[in-house]
Amino acid sequence: MEEVRRQEFRTALRKTKNLPTLPGIIAKLCKMAEDPDISTEQMGKVISQDYVLSAKLLKLVNSAFYGFPQRISSISSAIILLGFNVVKSLIISASIFEVMEAQDVELWQHSLGCAVVCNVIATRLGVKDPEEVSTAGLIHDIGKMAIKMELPDEYQMINRLMRDRGISMRQAEMEVLGLDHAEAGGWLASGWNLPKKLIEPVTCHHDPRLAHEEQLASSIIHFGDIMIRGLGYGHAGDKKVPMLSKRAWEFLNFSPTDIDEIFNQVEEKLWDVKGFSLEINADEIIQVRD
Amino acid sequence: MTRILVAGSHILERQESRISLEAKGYQLIVATDIKTAVGLFLEDPPDLLIVERGFAGNGELDLVRVANACLQKTNIPIILVLPREEMVAGIDWRVLPVDDLLERPVAPEELLLRIQLAEARRNRVFDNNPLSKLPGNTSILNAIQNALADSEPMAVCYVDIDNFKPYNDHYGFSQGDEVILMVARVIVNVIDQVARQRSFVGHVGGDDYVFIVPEFKMVEVCEKVLANFEAVRNLFIAPEDVKKGGFVEKDRQGRETRFGLLSISIAVIPTGHGKFQHSGQVAAVATQIKHKVKALDGNNYLIDRREGYFPD
Repeated sequence: MEEVRRQEFRTALRKTKNLPTLPGIIAKLCKMAEDPDISTEQMGKVISQDYVLSAKLLKLVNSAFYGFPQRISSISSAIILLGFNVVKSLIISASIFEVMEAQDVELWQHSLGCAVVCNVIATRLGVKDPEEVSTAGLIHDIGKMAIKMELPDEYQMINRLMRDRGISMRQAEMEVLGLDHAEAGGWLASGWNLPKKLIEPVTCHHDPRLAHEEQLASSIIHFGDIMIRGLGYGHAGDKKVPMLSKRAWEFLNFSPTDIDEIFNQVEEKLWDVKGFSLEINADEIIQVRD
Repeated sequence: MTRILVAGSHILERQESRISLEAKGYQLIVATDIKTAVGLFLEDPPDLLIVERGFAGNGELDLVRVANACLQKTNIPIILVLPREEMVAGIDWRVLPVDDLLERPVAPEELLLRIQLAEARRNRVFDNNPLSKLPGNTSILNAIQNALADSEPMAVCYVDIDNFKPYNDHYGFSQGDEVILMVARVIVNVIDQVARQRSFVGHVGGDDYVFIVPEFKMVEVCEKVLANFEAVRNLFIAPEDVKKGGFVEKDRQGRETRFGLLSISIAVIPTGHGKFQHSGQVAAVATQIKHKVKALDGNNYLIDRREGYFPD
């Protein structure tokens, strides 16, 4: 793949301004914003279930003029620092999907599910701030949405290639673009001034060996992505469960008992968010294109 | 260079408007729908806002609300543009808190003059802290005076950051500035959420702030400020220092000393029941309470519960 074309795609993806999110979430948040008894924390809880809004919130709080460049890595801190009005304005300015497709909802579920697994694992391993790791898990596939929105023709080609040759989305991305969604997501995150703690796990979630400083977080997200696919919660664009990185596995060092316990905790937590996603889906007419 | 956000499609109808403003060095950012305008405002607040009436669903209200809540730049002048027949109907300025209005169609020469006037007026009343953009000492004294005269019992609260000086020496002043800004935002956002009515937040300077809230809200606000500060604090401290629970830095006498992590102390002075005659007395009592609360470890607030005024 020649570098020139890669560079072109890079430039196109860097221009990503406003990724759309689910109408159901925006409707719910608008309702909440009107209610005087709703606290910022309650809205934060809903926002932190949506990977696009969460990324936007982090982009805002880490932007130069808010005064905390590359420092804020969790949604709850972002909300404490931005405050109610900014959160409300964020919702007013959010863009929503013109046409809702089943796969958008499923990618949304996959992202949320991955965040849940990451949180369980990070807590279990005694990571200092599990919320940071689950935030990285939440936005790990943001590159997929950017490719879909900014490079629609290539996105179609990627999908066709996947269907015709039965390869994974990532392989198809590599063939069509010469880069994958992890790399694209990493650029996006660094272009938005997010902290390294989030950029690295996003960039390295398919190959934690590439991480310099965030080996553990990258390994957790790598494993979380695989586990949530295995559980069949949501859909990440293809049915292929990625190869487990040996390095990540050694790093996490789980015994079979650990895995069983993680499974049980994840299942339990997924029940909570399942109710929420049903609520979100209830107001939506999902149009499925083949 | 002044950046002006123009929200609406009729404000710059006449080409001369745009030309004359740009010739004067104004940078114009135009948005014809509210969603885009709010987005632009959030991403990079302008120095001045001109908005027209008549967006779908009264969207201009949303935009004005966003502008008024903007903390990075307080006092952004807002000019409303509306047709004459709307003026006849009258407008409730409490609902639409703007600073000036212009009749549609807008005459280019008047547009320029109004913008210059708005800027001049803003500069006349500006005593804000350049870093946090919060009101400074003149406004603080006025606000305390108003609190003393208020029929509702109020509480004047003095906040300062413990171990700030060594933190600043240890981490450098740009990170020190971030912490000053972080505390300002924590205070403002808490008050915005739980005690918006009749409250005030000011920045004395450095790591000293004053906020005033109704007395019945003082405990809730203090608790929440401390909790929120605690929740974000570690993002501003190196992981190894967090682990050690502090850092080593020279004290005021130049001796190597171990300092704890950043924390916050709030001295709370309820001003109800005619205890004080003037703001100087409030400051005197605040000094006593501050002294006591700063002697405690970690995040604390202390309320002056004494019945009278004891200036010792």
